[in-house]
Amino acid sequence: MSFLREVTHGLRGLLHRNDRDREIDDEVQHYFEQTTAAYRERGLSDEDARRAARQECGSPHTAKEQVRTYGWENTVRIFAADLHFAGRQLRRNPVFAMTAVLMLGIGIGANTAIFTFVNSVLLRPLPYPESNRLAVILSELGNSSRAPASMFELYEMRQRSHTFEQIAGIWVTSRALPGKGDPEQGKAGVVTSNFLQLFSTHPMLGRFFGPEDDLENAPSTVVLSHQLWVRKFGSDPRIIGTSVPFGYGSSIVIGVLSQNFRLIFPEDASVPSNVDYFQSTPIGPWEPDGPGFLHLVGRLRSAGSLPAAQRELAAIATEINDIGARTKVNNYRLYAFSLQDDDVREVRRTLYLLFGAVAFILLIGCANVANLLMIRAQQRRHETTIRAALGASTFRLIRQILTETLVTVLLGGAVALLLGWAALKAIVAVEPSSFANLGHVGLDLRVLAFTFIIALLISAIVALAPISTVRHLKLAEDLKRSGRSKTRKQSQSTTILVATEVALAFVLLIGTGLLVRTFANILRVDPGFRAENVFTLRANVPNYDVLREVQRALTALPGVQSASTVSHLPLDDQGNWYDYYWKDGTPVDQQNTEMADMRSILPDYFDTIGAQLMQGRDFTESDDAAHQHVAVIDEILARRLWPGESALGKRINASDSPKGPYQFERDWLVVVGIVRHIQCHTLTATVRPQIYVPYTLAPRPSMSIVIRTSGTVSDLASSVRKQIASLNRNVPITHLEPLSSVIERARAESRFVSVLATLLSIVALQLALGGIYGVLSYSVVLRTAEIGIRMAVGAQRAEIMRLVFAEGFFPVAVGIVAGVILSAVSMPLLGHLLFEIKPGSPEVYLPSIVAIFALSGIAMLVPALRAIRINPLTALACE
Amino acid sequence: MTEQNTDVIQGTLDLLILKTLSLEPIHGFGIARRVEQVSRGVFKVNPGSLLTALQRLERAGWLNSEWRNTENSRRAKFYMLTRAGRKQLEIQEADWNRRSSAVARLLRQEA
Repeated sequence: MSFLREVTHGLRGLLHRNDRDREIDDEVQHYFEQTTAAYRERGLSDEDARRAARQECGSPHTAKEQVRTYGWENTVRIFAADLHFAGRQLRRNPVFAMTAVLMLGIGIGANTAIFTFVNSVLLRPLPYPESNRLAVILSELGNSSRAPASMFELYEMRQRSHTFEQIAGIWVTSRALPGKGDPEQGKAGVVTSNFLQLFSTHPMLGRFFGPEDDLENAPSTVVLSHQLWVRKFGSDPRIIGTSVPFGYGSSIVIGVLSQNFRLIFPEDASVPSNVDYFQSTPIGPWEPDGPGFLHLVGRLRSAGSLPAAQRELAAIATEINDIGARTKVNNYRLYAFSLQDDDVREVRRTLYLLFGAVAFILLIGCANVANLLMIRAQQRRHETTIRAALGASTFRLIRQILTETLVTVLLGGAVALLLGWAALKAIVAVEPSSFANLGHVGLDLRVLAFTFIIALLISAIVALAPISTVRHLKLAEDLKRSGRSKTRKQSQSTTILVATEVALAFVLLIGTGLLVRTFANILRVDPGFRAENVFTLRANVPNYDVLREVQRALTALPGVQSASTVSHLPLDDQGNWYDYYWKDGTPVDQQNTEMADMRSILPDYFDTIGAQLMQGRDFTESDDAAHQHVAVIDEILARRLWPGESALGKRINASDSPKGPYQFERDWLVVVGIVRHIQCHTLTATVRPQIYVPYTLAPRPSMSIVIRTSGTVSDLASSVRKQIASLNRNVPITHLEPLSSVIERARAESRFVSVLATLLSIVALQLALGGIYGVLSYSVVLRTAEIGIRMAVGAQRAEIMRLVFAEGFFPVAVGIVAGVILSAVSMPLLGHLLFEIKPGSPEVYLPSIVAIFALSGIAMLVPALRAIRINPLTALACE
Repeated sequence: MTEQNTDVIQGTLDLLILKTLSLEPIHGFGIARRVEQVSRGVFKVNPGSLLTALQRLERAGWLNSEWRNTENSRRAKFYMLTRAGRKQLEIQEADWNRRSSAVARLLRQEA
């Protein structure tokens, strides 16, 4: 009841203000009339009665004002009036308003965009059912600390583990895609039948693999990705349960995955996020000494049991080591990571750094706004003084200033919404592949609100500066002056603010410098091959003879220098083939400890991609299974196994499959050639050494073909297609593209980071320079009289310039010193992103120092020129 | 808003208003006059405070108001007690009696 009255009366007061005021006026009027009448009754004259009434009751205006200000609606009304006034103030100073709004907008917007990004990559759980229970299981053995597991190990783990509800495995390889039409290469995920369930609650159509698919005489089955289902099967839901052509036989489609199904695995696992289709493989205790190739993921019984699982895995490792041959190594160990943590391991620090950078920008922006507000408060000191003298309470003045700050920040927030949205769109548009967790990224409004509140708090603190000028008003003194001239305290705080801005901008500049230099270094990296004029395509070839035919036919094309094939192109994500190797005489317990990337090639491969054969020879046509089994190894492996002596003619044990595709067996190979290391995974890291075997020893149904031309050949694609078609061998080809595009992709992340950093530091610099300009401009205005006097007593223009520059450069110098210290402390954090440059490199520091000085000099130029154009006469007349 | 100088003891203005209105509906000036007369001039009511207090009590649901014609046919705002107001008066009266007798006892003891 009473609350309702409170609201309705208040609203009436707010909406029908005139009516309410009139009512109050009437009531007060009546009261005074009655009082006057009472005095008249006592015999006083009209005039005396009125005077007596006033004496008794005070002024009717005061009474009216007192009644009017009652009620919550008045707070609202005053706020509205303040708002109105603030709007007028901002409109009257559009440059101030726009600068402040833009600075806050950029700061809040950048923070929102980056935080949204960080949130979606780091903080949001992986898009899997109960993803906090998923853990990656890795083996440590010999020199490899993140090794995949063998089927035998997986079997034993599943038998023994109690902390894991499920343990599943996957490996990804390139195989023919199921479906009609030309056989085509795709990414096949070979999984244990319990795998897909860990990553998705249910398929879009049909079912996942189950125990029935593991039975000995179970038919071949596949689960399709949504994308493949759309592309190859025309989104036909009736495909479920039907048999489709697959390789040289057929397979039954049992399920289609949902559109947003993505695999998110540690970067080094060679498991891409978009696999075309899945096949299942049964789990069994076969081949205790079999190779490790399975990437394991387990689901814990409860989310918190990871430490228990770690202990259990350690015990299981000891047990497996006792029974297994392959793992009889001295330091075999099993361990688990939360999938979420492991996935973002590399990206986490990059994103935090980015976050730090935008926080700097917000700080610089706020420092600038603080400066602007302070300058404005000084400018308006006179006005404020007059308002105070007219009876405005300190509370009312402070409220007015806060309202103005609020309006500025609100407008900044609106700008931030726009900028943040645009920035996020831009970031996602160039989404680097390492941020695999990025599904849909929308501007997070909670983040915007959060950043906005931060900005509001900062601004409220900032607004304290002008408020302090209000509180120390000395009315009489201030009224006499026109409000020009500078206090010592004020110049101290502007020095601190400008120095802070310069220091923060400097740190960003150094970071950017390091990242840009890194990118430049990456551009200069020699990947071990020459990509110019090399084209690649993928082809399905039934056997060696057809492959040789294709090679010969392509080499015969006009403009083609050479052609060859390789099982796995460098810097490509089409699965990987890597295996253990050892040299003659390695003791058994050290045999399965070191891994190399394995590549199956035809002769001329090294020449075609421009790799450098350092010693020995390339393969020839006679290097086949019938003759001596040979290999070419890279320089790194040669140095590692036979340091100080020639590797040529030595024997190395590796897996190959002379009996047919994927029928791997251990084999002794004689080293006939040594080649320069080729960057196979990233441009900057040497992951594993390489072993090349002739195709005849490791045939595969699908190969990548490489072609080197002698320059730009017009319409190479169609002539290649025609040439291969003319063989009449039914060899479908796909993915024709220049080899340089894989290099471009490999550079993408570094480019992304350095472009982003450059943009951020440009923004930061601009804000800082704006700050310097603003402070100095205002200072020149305040010192007009002083400069006028100096000029009047004969100061030269150069001296005046020096005066202005000295005032400007002082905080810049302080800021640079602080910036150098801050950078020295913080730059080592960038370490993992840098390549061939030290965090403390003077070749980045020195140019940055020079640049900041030069740029701030330019920012000071306008105020300085304005100073020397001051006319002494007018300046003095002003005062 | 009663912090304006008033000769009425802080906090008793509400009670005085309610008590006055319990006799009959009356306008602001009438309330002030009656409080003065009954207290024999001990309490003087300031119009600003009085009218503000009336607004507050009305919003609390203890009073209703109405514009009526006075005996000399001048329009004035009359206030009247609501049922809740009557109840409130009882509470406040009891409260006041309890307090004042307690204070009186204390003073007697001192003396």
